[in-house]
Amino acid sequence: MRLSKSRSSRRTQQWKDTTIPRRPLLWLAAALLFTLPPMLGNLASWVAWFFLLALALKFWMEPRGYRLRSTILKLILACLMLGAIFLSYGTLKGIEPGVSLLAVLVSLKILEAHTAREFQMIVMMAWVLCLCGFLLSQDFAVAFCLFVASALLIAALVQFHRGSSPGAFWVPLVTTFKLLAQAAPVVVLLFLLFPRINTGLQLRIGDFHAAMTGFSDRLSPGGIATLANSSEIAFRAEFPDSRTGPAGPLYWRGVVMWRCEGMEWRGPYSPTSISDSSRRYPARDKAIRQRITIAPHGLRWMFALDRPFGIPSGAMLARGNYLYSVRPIRKPRRYEVLSSIEPIDKELDAYERRQALQLPASITPAVSELAASWATHDSEPRAIVKSALQFFRTQGFRYSVSPGEYNKNDLEEFLFHRRTGFCEHYAASFATLMRLAGIPARVVVGYLGGEYNDLGGFFLVRQADTHAWCEVWIPDHGWMRVDPTTAVAPDRAGLDLSSFLASRVASGEMATGRGALLTRLTRLALVNQIRSIWEALNYQWDTRVLGFDADVQDVFLTSLGLTKSGPLPLAMQVLIVIFVLLIIYAGWMQLRTRRRVDRIQALYERYCQKLARIGVRRDPCEGPVDFEKRATQSLPSASKYVRQITETYIALRYAPEPAVISVDKFAKEINAFTAHT
Amino acid sequence: MKTGKFALVYPTGNFAALLFVLAAMWYAASSQNSPAIYLLLFGLTAVFLVSIPHTLLNLADVTIATESAKPAFAGQEVSLPVAIMNCSRATRRGIQLVLPTRGGERKHVDFIAAGKAARVTLRFPAKQRGEHRIGTLRLTSIYPLGFVRVLKKFAPSQTYLVYPKPSGDPRLPMHRARLPHSRPQTELGEGDDFAGVRAYVPGESQRHIDWRAVARGQPLITKQFAAEAEGSVHLDFSALRFHDAEQRLSQLAMWVIEAERARRPYSLRLPNTDIAPAVGEAHFHRCMRALSLFQGEEGPRP
Repeated sequence: MRLSKSRSSRRTQQWKDTTIPRRPLLWLAAALLFTLPPMLGNLASWVAWFFLLALALKFWMEPRGYRLRSTILKLILACLMLGAIFLSYGTLKGIEPGVSLLAVLVSLKILEAHTAREFQMIVMMAWVLCLCGFLLSQDFAVAFCLFVASALLIAALVQFHRGSSPGAFWVPLVTTFKLLAQAAPVVVLLFLLFPRINTGLQLRIGDFHAAMTGFSDRLSPGGIATLANSSEIAFRAEFPDSRTGPAGPLYWRGVVMWRCEGMEWRGPYSPTSISDSSRRYPARDKAIRQRITIAPHGLRWMFALDRPFGIPSGAMLARGNYLYSVRPIRKPRRYEVLSSIEPIDKELDAYERRQALQLPASITPAVSELAASWATHDSEPRAIVKSALQFFRTQGFRYSVSPGEYNKNDLEEFLFHRRTGFCEHYAASFATLMRLAGIPARVVVGYLGGEYNDLGGFFLVRQADTHAWCEVWIPDHGWMRVDPTTAVAPDRAGLDLSSFLASRVASGEMATGRGALLTRLTRLALVNQIRSIWEALNYQWDTRVLGFDADVQDVFLTSLGLTKSGPLPLAMQVLIVIFVLLIIYAGWMQLRTRRRVDRIQALYERYCQKLARIGVRRDPCEGPVDFEKRATQSLPSASKYVRQITETYIALRYAPEPAVISVDKFAKEINAFTAHT
Repeated sequence: MKTGKFALVYPTGNFAALLFVLAAMWYAASSQNSPAIYLLLFGLTAVFLVSIPHTLLNLADVTIATESAKPAFAGQEVSLPVAIMNCSRATRRGIQLVLPTRGGERKHVDFIAAGKAARVTLRFPAKQRGEHRIGTLRLTSIYPLGFVRVLKKFAPSQTYLVYPKPSGDPRLPMHRARLPHSRPQTELGEGDDFAGVRAYVPGESQRHIDWRAVARGQPLITKQFAAEAEGSVHLDFSALRFHDAEQRLSQLAMWVIEAERARRPYSLRLPNTDIAPAVGEAHFHRCMRALSLFQGEEGPRP
């Protein structure tokens, strides 16, 4: 930057041409600070630091009249930043590099801005930064900061247009709050009712494979544990027949894995459709109807409760009784499906039996012996399952999100030494053990539980709810679900994962580090109260705002009966209501601030207007008597009334003692005046 | 005055930027199906919508009153004092006054308290001699957010005068006194004898202004030198040799100024106008008015 002071005074004059007033700049800086939090965790750290540095520099430069002037320097800096972004991310495509670029451009703009126009441009760019913040994160804390930033931007604009009006620094905030308070009903109206048209235009953010979410067709140790912290939405499910769905834990079937490689399991490479002949379907009233809205995950899994049988269009039922989409799911998809709690398959054909008993060569003798010992003890399948679960329950197995690294051949290590695992470890090892004991078994990966949303009446299932369990073949029963994880952590099935983990923190089981600090802090009443308010707001944000997406809105609108006429008329209706609301605001503000006119004066002015319409215009400086003279001259026919009205007016307005003539009479005279002219 | 009653609202340049931001938000929200971005979008939209009545009412019960502008010489500046009156019971902010037909200088008034008035002086170049209408005055405001502008027009019926630009020979015509009672006159030179001071006449040379007195805070006064000529000057339009009427008027204006400065009685004869010899400010302006309203040989404009 060319920051050195010039020698000649003329040049100094030329250099000090910055005209952004200080107060609006302060508000703008505060707003920009609030757009930082989403950048901090999600972008390369230097971007946020550069942004902060630019802000700080601006406040140093502004009073001295410095700014970034040289176009070449600007270009060099922009290119440098572009290069730095490319080096940090390895690409310029995608959301993070894009937001970084915008943040860097805003920083440079701040350094060079010096006119009122540029100030307003930065304000608009800051709003785009708010938008980008939401693309990076939608946590409540982030959202809170971004909405504060938005409000501060409004305050900056208000302060800017106030100019040099006197008042304390917070006065524009009052105006901002007034605007926001009046805007609140409009926001609620728009948010609830304004149709959200899905354009189908997908914001292609970077490499599509990076956007794949959820599990894959391979269950490797530690694979599901990585999803345990993802709050991303997998799908939403409604039960149209009973609001809260069936009793008991909700096992959402995703994919069935047949191929065993010890600790690692795989699904079929290309699933084959199964025929309907050997299946018995439950009566329709016993089936559970679900309406599922799936979030795009880039793969072909479709989810349904337990054992789906009513196949939605564009999908097939794959071997293992799970839904498989014909095309990858790249945009939100809504479908209805029927599920049965009871097993559907009557018998296991030879091919499936072979598949369900396949074993890898790498099984160590110790593991085979363990399985064989159960089988020799009691060859009845149910008894073998029971003793296997008994083994998990009693041998000191622990349930943990971070059990450490396992290889696919580490079955022995897991079963006899470390004995710590997440659901996929238990499911994989259990199914392998069952096969070793001669029982056909397979692994199912899907979701367990879900968070019930009261407002929308649906279950929200997140990626963190990903779960793996087993199914074993019981000859007279069919495929039976066995969840070995419940043997280790019995509460897991009843809760979704996050609340399960949270409950463990509360009970002190994981009270280490942060948890310990948390428990210590909770002893302070005020902190506790603030925390509970924050939690409540957070929950409201998650359920009421983040939960209210286009699909939920659709349900909501249907329940109000507003979807019949289509989105366009609805949008028009909403706009009309808003228009009426704005007119009400305008009328109210007008009533509060309009000029108070004396009634007598107003009546006289009306009389003057009436005369003006016939061509006798009163000069602003003409007295009532002079005007009367002129009016009688030009309107001899009405002279009597003109004289009378003027006399009454003078008597009412200028009489030393209270007038004996009532104002109403004067009003009547003036109202009657039109009649004779 | 019918104008000034209704206010007009129209978007400003910033509105285009806002539309762009809203479109970006809408695109992101609909493609991501993100309620959070929808909330941001609707929030910004709602604040914008709510700001429209605020802007609209920012000029409610605000009127203007123009005062009479002092006559100016062509080529100089006309100053038009305007009072912006806030008759409402609320403070009005961010008001701008423009006279678009005369240069379009924008005058900002940051705030006017309830029931108060603000005075601004609009300055614009006086181009042609004659009597001109002020033209339409525009009051605008973009407070509080600057996305829409409210406009109120006022068309005052007042006029202002522009005197002809004085130019030509500054020496008064000596030998043209035809009146029988006129006595021979001495030349009014730039002599050395200080002959006292008098008020400065607009348009005359600034050479003799007593700047020291101005520095002391006194009004503009002119120092007079040389002996005052006794005889009256007769200024006759038709006696001038210039071909161009404007040039003649300029010369006459010059002489009127010089004669007024020298305190010599002067008369003015234009086709259809005859002003008897006199001296003084009223006479000066009468002559100047006649010169500025001169409408060719057929006579002055009624």
